[in-house]
Amino acid sequence: MNRSVLVIGLIIGAVLVTILFSGLGRDPAAIRSPLIGKPAPAFALREVGTNRTVDIAQFKGKPVVLNFWATWCMPCWEEHPVLVANANMLQPNVQFLGVVFQDKEDKILGFLNQRGSSYPTVVDDAGKTAIAYGVGGVPETYFLDANGVIRAKYAGPMSPDILRENLQKAMRQ
Amino acid sequence: MTAPLGRILILASLFAAAAGAFVGFYAGRTRSAVALRLARGFAYAYAAAIAAATLVMVYALLAHDFSVSYVAQVGSRQIPTWVTVVSLWSSLEGSILFWGLVLGVYIAISTFLTRRRYEEYQPDAIGVWLACAAFFSFLIAGPANPFHTVPNPPLDGPGPNALLQNHVLMAIHPPFLYLGYVGMTIPFGFACAALIKGRLGHNVLKPLRVSLMLPWIFQTVAIMLGGWWAYEVLGWGGYWAWDPVENASLLPWLTATAALHSIMVVERRGILKGWTITLIQATFLLTILGTFMTRSGVFNSVHSFTQSAIGPTILVFLAAALLFTVALLAFRIDKLEVEGRIEGAASREALFLVNNLIFVLLTFTVLIGTVFPLIVEAVKGKQMSVGRPYFDSMSVPLGALLLFVLGVGPALPWGRANAAQVKKALLPPLIGALVFVAAGFAFGARTPWTLLTLAFGGYAAQVTLGQMFMPMRQRMKSGDSLGAAFVDGQLRRGRRRFGSYIVHAAVVIVVIAIAISSSMRQQIELHFTKGQTQKAAGYDVTFVGVEERTEPHRISTIGVFNVAKNGKQIARLEPRMNHYQSMREPIGSPDVHSTLLRDVYISLSNVDAANETASITVFIAPFIVWIWLAVIAMALGALFALIPQRRAVILSEAKDPLPTRAEPETV
Repeated sequence: MNRSVLVIGLIIGAVLVTILFSGLGRDPAAIRSPLIGKPAPAFALREVGTNRTVDIAQFKGKPVVLNFWATWCMPCWEEHPVLVANANMLQPNVQFLGVVFQDKEDKILGFLNQRGSSYPTVVDDAGKTAIAYGVGGVPETYFLDANGVIRAKYAGPMSPDILRENLQKAMRQ
Repeated sequence: MTAPLGRILILASLFAAAAGAFVGFYAGRTRSAVALRLARGFAYAYAAAIAAATLVMVYALLAHDFSVSYVAQVGSRQIPTWVTVVSLWSSLEGSILFWGLVLGVYIAISTFLTRRRYEEYQPDAIGVWLACAAFFSFLIAGPANPFHTVPNPPLDGPGPNALLQNHVLMAIHPPFLYLGYVGMTIPFGFACAALIKGRLGHNVLKPLRVSLMLPWIFQTVAIMLGGWWAYEVLGWGGYWAWDPVENASLLPWLTATAALHSIMVVERRGILKGWTITLIQATFLLTILGTFMTRSGVFNSVHSFTQSAIGPTILVFLAAALLFTVALLAFRIDKLEVEGRIEGAASREALFLVNNLIFVLLTFTVLIGTVFPLIVEAVKGKQMSVGRPYFDSMSVPLGALLLFVLGVGPALPWGRANAAQVKKALLPPLIGALVFVAAGFAFGARTPWTLLTLAFGGYAAQVTLGQMFMPMRQRMKSGDSLGAAFVDGQLRRGRRRFGSYIVHAAVVIVVIAIAISSSMRQQIELHFTKGQTQKAAGYDVTFVGVEERTEPHRISTIGVFNVAKNGKQIARLEPRMNHYQSMREPIGSPDVHSTLLRDVYISLSNVDAANETASITVFIAPFIVWIWLAVIAMALGALFALIPQRRAVILSEAKDPLPTRAEPETV
């Protein structure tokens, strides 16, 4: 028997398997946002179809569900009814706010008229707000507590359970 | 009805593989001819069962039978037929089934071709192959079963991953990759059989080499196709990102390349037997590691399948295979008799050893860079990623060193050589080095690494061409005409030599093309309004306008651009944004105008259909096409080297009065 082959082989094998084992259950897509626990970046944007400006600061005192989306994003279509239904149920205790970027006003209005709306939607024309929040794709949702601090973030279309689970984190504070 | 039929066939394949593995090892131990025949029967039965199961799946996909779970998951009535066929391997469960099919084909053919010769090694080899097959059949039957029955079948499905629908190369890249990955099981079987027997005889080297070379060819092409696809589809102007799954495909290729070289030293000198076996086994283990990386959901990549439960199962298999391999090596490696030794530092076998060490170093470098984020997360709980700078800073010097060895190695003779011989072999190719550096300098290359690569490349090119045509030159010296010398010296005899040096020449081209295209690439970002013309690195780019195109499975927003040089239009490029139902963000598809000298590549970063404005990135990169062409030449050269010499030629060679030097087949 060749001892050095055995020892070297077992060491390399054991180290490799241990490393890979430690990675199991890891979700590489879930990138922790550095903004969690920090105050939400301020913004004041124009509401779609009106000239009213909505300032995120005006919702202090209640949790906010901040949803970034666009009409060209098919998963957003999927998620839209979940948001509308939950907003109907939870408002006014929780504020819902939609932020649309890289899109056209007439398309947004058409979308909302056709599929319904139960909360304000603002237009992020230059995409600066999305950049400030570090949005990687749409839909992406941020959950703010009553003090305007980001408590959770979810990337991708939410199911009702995912929405409530994340909202809990913002309500607990 | 279809789903249960599929399940039955998978269970049959699992039974055939498990029983065949058992009988195979039994036949190896007892040398029973009856048991060996039975093991072969099981090998064929496994292949037949898994092939039938795959056919059932293809039928279900084409018939849109949404009562089969996999069809409900990836099928759609709205996608073109070719996408429907491709969706066989577009998602996790189907890809494992496809893996099983490829393995079945490999096992059946290998069993058939080795049935009369190699009886000493065949039973254990069949045992190992079918043990691997049993694992994959178990995966298909259990954790990754594509044949669940859907109780209330939907009327239509979502279709496969949008990235796969985006380009036709996706129909070709995965099959090649599987043919490469899965094929490494065959040499692994021979290597294990040799260890079990404690003997790596000369006669088993041929099946070992051939069974390693064939998947190596597929793997080479697959890696290139993957890079080409990334280049044509992903829109960042590059073809290789050191993404974990790209690395996973490179790792076994590196060790297999090393093994293909060390086998030659075994053939020639009877040394490095244990080392060669280890490399072949490492190659197989790295393919399983690659499977884990792609399918466990542990690594993030454009290639990853979604999160799945089969990660732990593959990890258990990897651990078991590692343990089996290490134990087998430890107990048997000393039995492989050494027949010779390395004669001197300036000999071809010594350079082979250097080549092998560089390949292994490169393998470890890439492996460590790939798993490092996992280590950091496990130890420190922090998320991080290892990027280009690490991989580039490690692989560029090692790659250059390999190119250097590729030039010097074949120039040196086998065995001991005196100083005068070494000088005579190594000095003349410096001319080639100078010529290449001068040509590169004239073309505009200035970075030190590029110039060094050109020097090594020129040196290697001269050595390679000299070695490639040596048989022909010898025949011409002894009076043959050019045509006769070419046909006889290069095409009929010495195919292995000719083919192998074609591979070397192609490698020189690939490495130089990579060096030049990456160091001399220009990247220009431009913003357009409709009708506007702007200059980009000597080209005039005009934004013609925006088109929207709706297809059943996607909506595309296309920016139309005219590219002109010196007032003459050379291309109309249509980069686009594709919106698929299943994606969170639109997929940009660049458009490329390729010529032998340079590519003009336009990628759309933003397009506004309402105001007719667009932001684009233009990449101008020289010599890109040469990478794809040379890799195809590598594959063809290797294939040519694999064509067996006909018996008549070998016989006539025995009577041949022509003076043949000591090395008719060197590489």
